[in-house]
Amino acid sequence: MRAGAATERLSALKREVAAIEGTRIALEDRRSLPLGVPGIDAALGGGLAFGAAHELEPAGPVHLGATFGFALALAGGVQRTRPAVTGPADDVLWIETSFATAETGRLHGPGLDAFGLSLRRVLIVRVPRPIDVLWVLEEALGCRGIAAAIAVLTQNLDLTATRRLSLAARDGGGLGLLVRRPSPHPSAALTRWRIAAAPSRPDAFGGLGPAAFDLTLNKNRHGPCGRWTVLWDHYDGAFLDPVSVGVAQAAPDRSDRAFRRASARSRAG
Amino acid sequence: MNDAAARLGLKVGMALADARAMHPRLAVADADPPADRLLLEAVADWCERYTPLVGLQPPDGVILDISGCAHLLGGEAALKRDLVGRLRQHGFAVLAAIADTVGCAWAVARYGDESLPRKGTTIALPDDCHPERLAKRDEPGPKYPRDKGVAGDHGRLSRLTALGWDDDRKNCFIVPPGGAREALAPLPVAALRLAPEVVTLLAQVGLKHIADLLDRPRATLAARFGTELILRLDQALGVDQESITPRQPLPCYVAEQRFADPIALERDVLGTIQRLGERLKITLERHGEGARLIEAALFRVDGKMLRISVATSRPIREAALIRRLFAERLAATGDAHDPGFGFDMIRLSVIVAEPLNPVQTGFDSSDHAEEVLELIDRLAARVGFRCVLRAVPHDTHIPEFAALEVRADRTTDKDASPVVGPASSTLRPLTLFARPEPIEAMAEVPDGPPVRFRWRHVLHEVAAVEGPERIAMEWWRDEIGTALTRDYFRIESREGARFWVYREGLYERETTQPRWFLHGLFA
Repeated sequence: MRAGAATERLSALKREVAAIEGTRIALEDRRSLPLGVPGIDAALGGGLAFGAAHELEPAGPVHLGATFGFALALAGGVQRTRPAVTGPADDVLWIETSFATAETGRLHGPGLDAFGLSLRRVLIVRVPRPIDVLWVLEEALGCRGIAAAIAVLTQNLDLTATRRLSLAARDGGGLGLLVRRPSPHPSAALTRWRIAAAPSRPDAFGGLGPAAFDLTLNKNRHGPCGRWTVLWDHYDGAFLDPVSVGVAQAAPDRSDRAFRRASARSRAG
Repeated sequence: MNDAAARLGLKVGMALADARAMHPRLAVADADPPADRLLLEAVADWCERYTPLVGLQPPDGVILDISGCAHLLGGEAALKRDLVGRLRQHGFAVLAAIADTVGCAWAVARYGDESLPRKGTTIALPDDCHPERLAKRDEPGPKYPRDKGVAGDHGRLSRLTALGWDDDRKNCFIVPPGGAREALAPLPVAALRLAPEVVTLLAQVGLKHIADLLDRPRATLAARFGTELILRLDQALGVDQESITPRQPLPCYVAEQRFADPIALERDVLGTIQRLGERLKITLERHGEGARLIEAALFRVDGKMLRISVATSRPIREAALIRRLFAERLAATGDAHDPGFGFDMIRLSVIVAEPLNPVQTGFDSSDHAEEVLELIDRLAARVGFRCVLRAVPHDTHIPEFAALEVRADRTTDKDASPVVGPASSTLRPLTLFARPEPIEAMAEVPDGPPVRFRWRHVLHEVAAVEGPERIAMEWWRDEIGTALTRDYFRIESREGARFWVYREGLYERETTQPRWFLHGLFA
């Protein structure tokens, strides 16, 4: 009883400090997105923090698809986790440079389905100049109606730029995801991930099984770093720990899948 | 040809060699119609400070519909004095006339005073710059009870005071309502905008003035000189209607502010836009409408006029919001909106308005959907609406067409309803290349999946394959019947990266040399 009162008092004080500092959300109250993989969530202290910028680096040009997938999976997660105050769910914003799409391809609407994102809740901003990407990202992160903003960057960012983005994200409370090349510059992002695709295990019919990601947490301001391999189950819309999957594989019969999909949909809706 | 040249006895149509023989020091500039046209358009822009309805009459005329606008400047005479005076300050030679009809204003402006020099564009004296000539006039629109026109002629020269123009004389160029007949009667027939051949024909039979034509039997005139003569005569008299084509879409609502002292600071410009926005808001509210397209016209002291327009994704009427959108627009265009010596007038017009019903908002101000709409408008003001998109599913098997990218302001929630069909039952890649990239693939059998392939100079060993998914071109799209069937494979490389590749053409049925392409990336 007394311990509970003390915690309450402490968080009230923290809120007060946050108000003095001008941040809308106190650090303690900041929500986070659990990835559902115990090792990662423990390292992140519960999950990937909202209201902050996170960096995603593809391990090589070949792994760009995996990086996009991971970013979209996180964005979909935020969209489902953050309850909309009124009206429909919050939007996810994708920002890319038009000339860079020759390298990476354009975001393909129907493909988003596999990451639990509804097309009607995704905004695509394709700008001609790389510098506009940063401006759009900052505006988007400052908007409370944006659950997550993903930017595919072609240039290196300096500390000032990432600091501005972090501040904007703190005001808006959304998740900022910067897909960027490895850079030597220091950065104000909360975490930095190096992402590679990992060989997957075929499913029961010999087809491609759940996509596997090799995640390396290179930088973590509030915890240890680490490396994990996770699977993405697009029927459930969740990350899986490959260890548990290896022991007992889900029954691949259609009725079961249809049911799980429906339940995932209803959770999403 | 300018006034000084005219006084030396030079004439339009004279050979250059003859003119040089008479005056060896003659300065000659080539006619430059595109530059004249640009200048004329700039003058027309400038004229929008008087009325939003401005039409061009190339090569040298501008026409303004000043119905209902004259009282703002203290009457027609005052408006004309203001217009002519300001254009003269900019160095134009101006002829202006106000009349009931386009034809009458045109005629009176050009031929109202025979002592003034007429057309010509190629010969100038040493101390003169390149002469451009413009004329301006105005016309009657059918919906106004009384229409007035201003017409003028300018050559950018400074000899006007020497010609002794005074205000009294200019007042003669205002034709009173219903006075078109009397005003036109003494003018030469050329004032009717006729082809030169017709003028010559008329002169041959002694019909030199419009008065000679007015009482003649129309049927005979038409039979002898063509129907154009009758048409022009009727247009000048207002019997037949003639409409001007406005250069800009006519605004639904307009608010404007003039300054005694020019303003130049961005803060002041935005402040003015907000004040004008508040004025517009009252009108918009009364009509239950909101603005979808707003244009700010900034009139610079030196005569240049800058237009900035912002579009919105939904009807708005909040002045603060309008101000923010213009702030983004100004930031995006930067130096393109150089204030120069300042702006002396700013006009805010609503070009497109849509019904907007008042909505009761709750005390809880955290309406996220509303914030997203505001964000879309702000982004679009900076980078343009063609950059802010939403994907709308399209019911087709062809991957390139399965998602249309539509401007975010043109989509509704209904558009994006999930398509039940091929797109939702099969996995599609995350990114799709606008142009499928050719790859060198090796397959064990000609119609089997590849075992390895080279994409962008890198060799990928295939670890797992799913497919094929056969997609044939839809016959209603493929008019010439040359599109080949595609067999798509989802492929995972040894490293775990996933690709979407296809073989174009069915082996031995459509082609013997099937080609391979990489179309997209999976996660």
